[in-house]
Amino acid sequence: MESITSMENTDKSLIDAHRRGDPAAFGELVRRYGDNVLGYLIRMSGNREQAEDLFQETFKRVHEKAHTFHGPQFKGWLFKIATRVTLDGLRRGKRTKTVSLNQQLDCDNPNSEQLDAVALADNSCNPSEQALKAEQAEQVRRAIELLPARQRATLVLAYYQQLSYPDVAEVLGCSVGTVKTQMFRALKTLSHKLPEI
Amino acid sequence: MKNHLTENELIEYRFRLSSEEQQSTSSEHLTGCAECREHLEQLIKKFAALDLLREDAHVPEALISEVLEQAGKPVQRKVVPFHKSPWMGAVAAAVVACFVLLMSNLNTDKSTQRPFAREPKSEDRIISNESGAKGKAQADSPMTMVAQDTDAKTKIAAATESAQGEAATRIVTKETSQRTPLTAGRARDIAAVEASIAPTSKPIPEQPPFAPASAIELVTLPRRDKVQLTIYNSADLTLVRERRNLTLKKGWNWLQFMWANTLIDPTSLSLEPLEQAGKIDIQQLVFPARLRELGRWLIRSEISGQVPFEITYFTSGLSWRAFYMGTLSQDEKTMKMQGYVRLGNNSGEDYDNAQTRLIVGQVHILDEIAQLARRQYPYDRPELGIVHDESLGERAAEITNGAVTLQYGWAAQSLDVLGPKDIKKEGLSEYFLYTIEGTETIPNEWGKRLLSLEVEDIAVESLYKYDEERWGNQAIRFVKFANDEKHNLGQTPIPNGDVKIYSNADEQGYLSYVGGTDIKYIPVDEKVELNLGPARLVEIAPKLIDFKTENYIFDNRADVSGWDEIRTWKIEITNTRTLPIQIEITRGFGTAYWTLQSEIPYEKYDATHARFKLELEPRSKQTLEYTVRTYHGTREESLTQ
Repeated sequence: MESITSMENTDKSLIDAHRRGDPAAFGELVRRYGDNVLGYLIRMSGNREQAEDLFQETFKRVHEKAHTFHGPQFKGWLFKIATRVTLDGLRRGKRTKTVSLNQQLDCDNPNSEQLDAVALADNSCNPSEQALKAEQAEQVRRAIELLPARQRATLVLAYYQQLSYPDVAEVLGCSVGTVKTQMFRALKTLSHKLPEI
Repeated sequence: MKNHLTENELIEYRFRLSSEEQQSTSSEHLTGCAECREHLEQLIKKFAALDLLREDAHVPEALISEVLEQAGKPVQRKVVPFHKSPWMGAVAAAVVACFVLLMSNLNTDKSTQRPFAREPKSEDRIISNESGAKGKAQADSPMTMVAQDTDAKTKIAAATESAQGEAATRIVTKETSQRTPLTAGRARDIAAVEASIAPTSKPIPEQPPFAPASAIELVTLPRRDKVQLTIYNSADLTLVRERRNLTLKKGWNWLQFMWANTLIDPTSLSLEPLEQAGKIDIQQLVFPARLRELGRWLIRSEISGQVPFEITYFTSGLSWRAFYMGTLSQDEKTMKMQGYVRLGNNSGEDYDNAQTRLIVGQVHILDEIAQLARRQYPYDRPELGIVHDESLGERAAEITNGAVTLQYGWAAQSLDVLGPKDIKKEGLSEYFLYTIEGTETIPNEWGKRLLSLEVEDIAVESLYKYDEERWGNQAIRFVKFANDEKHNLGQTPIPNGDVKIYSNADEQGYLSYVGGTDIKYIPVDEKVELNLGPARLVEIAPKLIDFKTENYIFDNRADVSGWDEIRTWKIEITNTRTLPIQIEITRGFGTAYWTLQSEIPYEKYDATHARFKLELEPRSKQTLEYTVRTYHGTREESLTQ
């Protein structure tokens, strides 16, 4: 508990330092939460390239809106911005009907990031097992991608980012009950679409 | 015992979605119910699939650097529009007026103060213009705006000093009305510089004024009205055409152009008036000594007022490349094709709302634009020309420019030795120009992907080829179509780029990756064959069934001088696909003297190769058998006879 408090304090002090014009403080915040935020954005957008764009936009807004941060928990505020940026970005993406070339699993490309990710996750050297895992991961990704944006955000924040339901409610700006409902609906949908492993 | 827990209840229990009370009730039930425990385990196992996406993402350092660099730029802040709050404009006007009067009292003698002070009406007009200008200004560069305000005040003071009140008033009026729209480009400004102040009624002096050495006389700061980028993908070269409205006075005008921190080739700068061309004469472009990364145009104008100009130059750092995605229908008879263009901007300059044109074709250039842009002086050291500073006259220094060694001072060398900068143009008619519809904003260091082509139902042929000499023991898959109207294409040539082909795997629209390749430039009406790589579902197994030699011929010394070799081959082709296929099998014989016998027709592909074309039903096998006789030594003559 102490460590959480001290981390929060440090976040607060970093954002204060950033507001005072200390560039190193902002860099520290980006490094501290970068992996978390990028992971969230990749799962939300299903596309690394787009996620990196959203990542830049998220931290740009954090930089610009730093003076509006007053809360105790920086992480929640950061994810709130990331969610807003993502939902805006996804809405724009729908309008322009862009198709991501990276969305498809590039099985024949040995440099494929997705295959690398699976290979790292699974130390098995068996190529057929790797291919199977990659295919299953792709199915999971597709299933999550088909969820409505709010449900997807709830699932990713609660399950992958391991935020508590009240924290998710804070990020999404709704009640805990709504979060639980969204989560239940997302899980119910996924239960029919997830592959057997 | 209570009824078994439903799947919904189990989900709620597993993910702690129900109330505390419900959680404990479910927990109790599970303790005593093996069936529900098993059901729960199955559910946990099912949701374990979610963990396949749990791998951590790592932010690349380059991305962090980009974010930090972006954060290093000034934050965009809203500017309060003065025109919406007239009282604020009035306050600002009063402050500026006080400042102006204070400065003129401090810095000028009485004779110069009077004319300026006697013009309250014009001054009021100036101030209101200035405050109105602020309201309209773009808020993207607050630091620049402050700098401009300071400039304006300095300029007012400088104008007062010049003891020509009338002219000073005119300058200030002009600058305040023109300064408003700031360019979004962070590194470059354009400004008309007045070197002399002359009433419009006076005749234009014949001799131009000497280029001012400082930028204190900045008069206008116009924004780009339009910008057009023509990007060549074969060379690191982009032609930029900007349209800006410049305010000229009657007489001589200096126009300053700065390119600090950009990759602009200063030797390529060109300026043309778009209107009143007969009354405006662009006399020269000079690169003042000791002032780096700026040039000044000398313009003789017979009119005063706003004139649209076009400024053109080459820059480096902008690039584009095309790539494509093809989606085959389930029967593989048609393909949907989407083409994209990725634009990148590392030129050091932001281009807002630029009309973007892309050129396909080879351009040969003598110099790297980026190197030209980074040179300290556009055409080499300024001292190379006639230097009027005698203190430099005796100072000898060597400047290496190729093999030429020159000296400073009055013993100036001809500039001819440098030679004009040359850009070769070859085969312009073979280029093709792609214009992106509308305009695009491409900030510096950003990339942008645009949809360039989207065509449905392109009729395609799937074809397999087998040629051991080219691809070894594997069949290669090709997709064929043509860039013509029959295939819903043919409007434009297709630029070179990478292609990825996917296939509709099922009716839900899931795609499976088929293969990828790169295509070269495809002119209109040209056929295309996309090599998608080895085909795993089509197998070819050639076997040599029989080999013998015969028809030996002996020479006078009883040595063998000619013979025939007869080989019988059996090639088994297996199609494990659920679709019929066409396959071309090419066989080489290593000699131009051969005859072939086969029940399956063949064509002579070239002197040493024969080609068979077969069609296989889905999930079928076919055997190709042929006997080839090759003639060697003196036996070759028997074939020609």
